[in-house]
Amino acid sequence: MHQAKWTLSETLCEKGLTYPLTLALSPVGRGQGWGKNLRKEEDKKMLKRTLVSLSLLLVAIFLMSAPGSAQQRGVTDTEILIGQWGPQTGPAAPWGAVARGTDLLVKIINEEGGINGRKFKYFLRDDSYQPAKTKAIAKEFVEQVGDRDPRGVFAVVGGVGVACGMTARDYLMENKVPWCGPVTGVYEWITPIQKYLFAIYPLYDDEAFNLTGYLYEKLGYKKIAMFYQNDDYGKQGVMGVERYLLKKKISLVAKISAEVTDRDLSTHALKLKNSGAEAVIMWAMPTHGALILAETAKIGFKPQWATSNTLSDSALMIQITKGLWSGMINSNFGELPDSNHPLMVKYREAHKRLAPQERWGVFYYAGIIFAEPFFEGVRRAGKNLTPETWISAMETLKNWQGIGPPITYSKPKTPMDRQGGKHVFYGKVKPDGTIQKLTDWIQITK
Amino acid sequence: MLGQLIVSGLAVGACYALLAIAMVIIYKTSEVLNFAQGEMAMISTYVAFSLLDSYHVPFEWTVVFTFLFAILLGMFFELVFLRQAKDPTVIGLIIITLGFEMILMGFAGWKWGPDQRSFPFPVSNIEAYNFHGLIISKINFWTILVTLVLMFVLFLFFRYTKLGTAMRATQQNQLAARVMGIRTKWILSFTWAISSMVGAVAGMLIAALGVLDPPMMMDPLLKGFASGVLGGMTSLPGTAVGGAMLGIIENLFGGYVSLAFKSAVAFAIIVLMLCIKPSGLLAKHYVKKV
Repeated sequence: MHQAKWTLSETLCEKGLTYPLTLALSPVGRGQGWGKNLRKEEDKKMLKRTLVSLSLLLVAIFLMSAPGSAQQRGVTDTEILIGQWGPQTGPAAPWGAVARGTDLLVKIINEEGGINGRKFKYFLRDDSYQPAKTKAIAKEFVEQVGDRDPRGVFAVVGGVGVACGMTARDYLMENKVPWCGPVTGVYEWITPIQKYLFAIYPLYDDEAFNLTGYLYEKLGYKKIAMFYQNDDYGKQGVMGVERYLLKKKISLVAKISAEVTDRDLSTHALKLKNSGAEAVIMWAMPTHGALILAETAKIGFKPQWATSNTLSDSALMIQITKGLWSGMINSNFGELPDSNHPLMVKYREAHKRLAPQERWGVFYYAGIIFAEPFFEGVRRAGKNLTPETWISAMETLKNWQGIGPPITYSKPKTPMDRQGGKHVFYGKVKPDGTIQKLTDWIQITK
Repeated sequence: MLGQLIVSGLAVGACYALLAIAMVIIYKTSEVLNFAQGEMAMISTYVAFSLLDSYHVPFEWTVVFTFLFAILLGMFFELVFLRQAKDPTVIGLIIITLGFEMILMGFAGWKWGPDQRSFPFPVSNIEAYNFHGLIISKINFWTILVTLVLMFVLFLFFRYTKLGTAMRATQQNQLAARVMGIRTKWILSFTWAISSMVGAVAGMLIAALGVLDPPMMMDPLLKGFASGVLGGMTSLPGTAVGGAMLGIIENLFGGYVSLAFKSAVAFAIIVLMLCIKPSGLLAKHYVKKV
């Protein structure tokens, strides 16, 4: 027993980890007391034999295993696992339609046979717009989903909410999980530059900057006020508006914020009216959009309204504002719902067939807009799909366009190389809720 | 601006008061704070919406059917959830109302979806009356009127009817009330039914003022609770006064101090009142049970 211990410790130092096998086979291990020289010679022979056996075993394991891609998280010979979180319940639930829109695109692609011989398995999780839940979902996506090892999704697509996404961003990046198209237009996705994160949503700051320019230069409004939601989304809108006005050496005539939970906006409306604004830019959620229009209409304040693409679901807005949304100028990040674009025609037909219960609204097909570039990347990456091959493929996208803005990525030298969507177009809402296109795609981010 | 802020404050305060009244009715009889009040009102409003939008039922009949539904919903909750609680404490019952609130919220999202909707209402929320420069929308005007009438009717009911007296007796001492021949269990069910009906009125008016969606009552409920604390959780006129005061204070604060902290005023008032006068402004006395 003592000898066996001595032999083990000696061998660990001198011969590395191969010895335990030798120990099991060698008479030394059984402590029979042979001569020292004889023992060394036997040891050498045994070691040689063991090394050869181990090498053969390793080669055999390597050859027997499936192709390299099977080792990749979320990718098998026949399947690619992807995930998305989105609020299906709670106050932000209308934006949950985005994640369901992605589901439609996954179904369409799978119906067509998948990409490079692989079909997609899509995991949609409800985070109720609560960052703590999003973090848990991100962990589930990386560590648990799927039924074979290594578990986890290959990539995350979409995902509504700045705060929600921010709780998951670093975790996903540390685990080298590709993430394509977070559904908000903030700088947090591209600064600092993240190797595995590709932003699509046009930046709110640039969008607001250019929308103000459109009101100021094209339409001639000089007294501009801002009504915004008091969070990152609203504040980045304010940033862009003020940046533009600073360039013109003027400032906003009023800057009115609302808390997410506010339901009484009568004071806000009164302050906007008293500012004497000719035009008001709104960076808010649909409920606030409806409430502020009703309150301002009550007190007879009727400026030119303009808003971001987050309120571009004009069919919904015209309905909940009882027609007050008519005349609204808004920017758009995707084709209009009734567009004759061949892809829109195809998606609308698939929607009728595969998800007739869903309303064909902007939020719903935004789920397609933010997922299309991901699938194009998978297509270009070819059969050997890994995060690295996918990233290389994404970096070849130059003005590539589905139903959203033209997408361009490059090797990341500046944050803008990871900002795919840099264009919007402007439209004016007609009384029936449809949008009259005012411009073609305009580049808002240089 | 001052006059307009006060008028707008009164209008929004009327909505707070309606919800506060609904909460007070239950509190007066059982000392339970019903945190499901908002969602019960929301569900009743969705039922009204379905009747109007899908079945094109005339508005008057919609109101009748909605009240009927609200009554049944209130009784259902009392019978199925609260009455089944074993040796319930007040805290336990409040927790049950929180659970019911979540169930109703989930149900609404599943049944009607998360999208905002416009609630069809016979009175316009845009057209307004102009009293010497003070503008009040027609719906705001009617909300104030409905609140005052409802409060007055309920006040008379509690003060002068046998049933109202029985409800007050049940609140003061359930055992003594039972000894005196009052069917206290039935009284409790009836209380929840009335409260749910008042909540339905609040729900329909609030939806007509803004939009109808599952979380629409979250903010009004908290403000209603603050109104109750301000005016007195056992006083019906107190809640109406509390609602009006809260609406005005909020508007004045938003107008002259800070819009960002406008919503926080309600919570500051709750804390302040509980420290200075826990019974509220108009409640006669604060009875602490031991």
